[in-house]
Amino acid sequence: MRERETDDPLVLYGNRFSSRLLLGTARYESPRQLTDAIGVADPAMLTVSVRRQLSASKDSGQPFWDLLRETGRRILPNTAGCLSAREAVQTACMARELFQTNLIKLEVIGDEVSLQPDPFGLVEAANQLVRLGFQVLPYCTEDWVLCKRLMDAGCEVLMPWAAPIGTGQGPRNAPALRELRQRAPHIPLIIDAGIGLPSHACQVMEWGFDGVLLNTAVSRALDPVRMAGAFAQAVRAGRSALLGGPMTVQEMAVSSTPEIGRPFASDCPSQLPPPA
Amino acid sequence: MFVIVNGESHPVPEPPTLSALLVRLSPRSPFAVAHNEEFVPRGAYDACRISPGDRVDIVHPTAGG
Repeated sequence: MRERETDDPLVLYGNRFSSRLLLGTARYESPRQLTDAIGVADPAMLTVSVRRQLSASKDSGQPFWDLLRETGRRILPNTAGCLSAREAVQTACMARELFQTNLIKLEVIGDEVSLQPDPFGLVEAANQLVRLGFQVLPYCTEDWVLCKRLMDAGCEVLMPWAAPIGTGQGPRNAPALRELRQRAPHIPLIIDAGIGLPSHACQVMEWGFDGVLLNTAVSRALDPVRMAGAFAQAVRAGRSALLGGPMTVQEMAVSSTPEIGRPFASDCPSQLPPPA
Repeated sequence: MFVIVNGESHPVPEPPTLSALLVRLSPRSPFAVAHNEEFVPRGAYDACRISPGDRVDIVHPTAGG
């Protein structure tokens, strides 16, 4: 699909996107529901994965491949579930051949309970993948030193979590996320994982994050298509609010209606001239 | 004399190459392959020798987050 022109594009590794929402393709009730959600969300990219073929799976193989191609969206493969740098690198290589893209959402999981990223494995894998010509978008935490190491490795985009994958808790460590934004003002930062509500997405966009990556918050909603639309609006609203420049918070109340000319005010003379 | 493909045993093909194994299994396209947990590019299937006990993973596009 041809990207609409916009004066405020999201630029990831030289690719310009009019949308700042990235959408996962997993856990929908049907291919039709996924297609409808994509249509409403208008995402910049779709995340996908690679797995062994499962018989009778509606989410893999040729039908899923055909669905992806029909959407015309840019594809962002992931290395979901990899527990080591080596697994992640080999998975990325298979994904590159399958999806014909150098873009890779790098996941190296360090804890199978929290699905927390493994910072050591991430940096090791990022170093190798960049050398292999990949354009790496690492799923990471908000830890500043980790983010710095990933940038040193050659990552031109970072994707810190808001909260553990699939929890929908929203930003758990707001001060650290906002500090990360301040300390890395020029690199695109996409909030990935843990978003549950459109208000969470709007909030992080207001903080200056460049985009949001969602899956479960849409696919496990009661009405995923309606929720996809809500997230699309929230992301746009948050971005517009950032660009609009929020007012400065005041300690004391400040009347918004002019005080001058208020009727019945004995100590406030009318500004109108007396009648002739 | 078996090779493990996606966790299941299959006879080692003749000739013992990844290419021959894939001809026999004819996985549905599109797919990508790893041999002993190392990616094998499509152009290297002929040259990839298979030994008993080797592990082969054949993967396909799937939904992901």
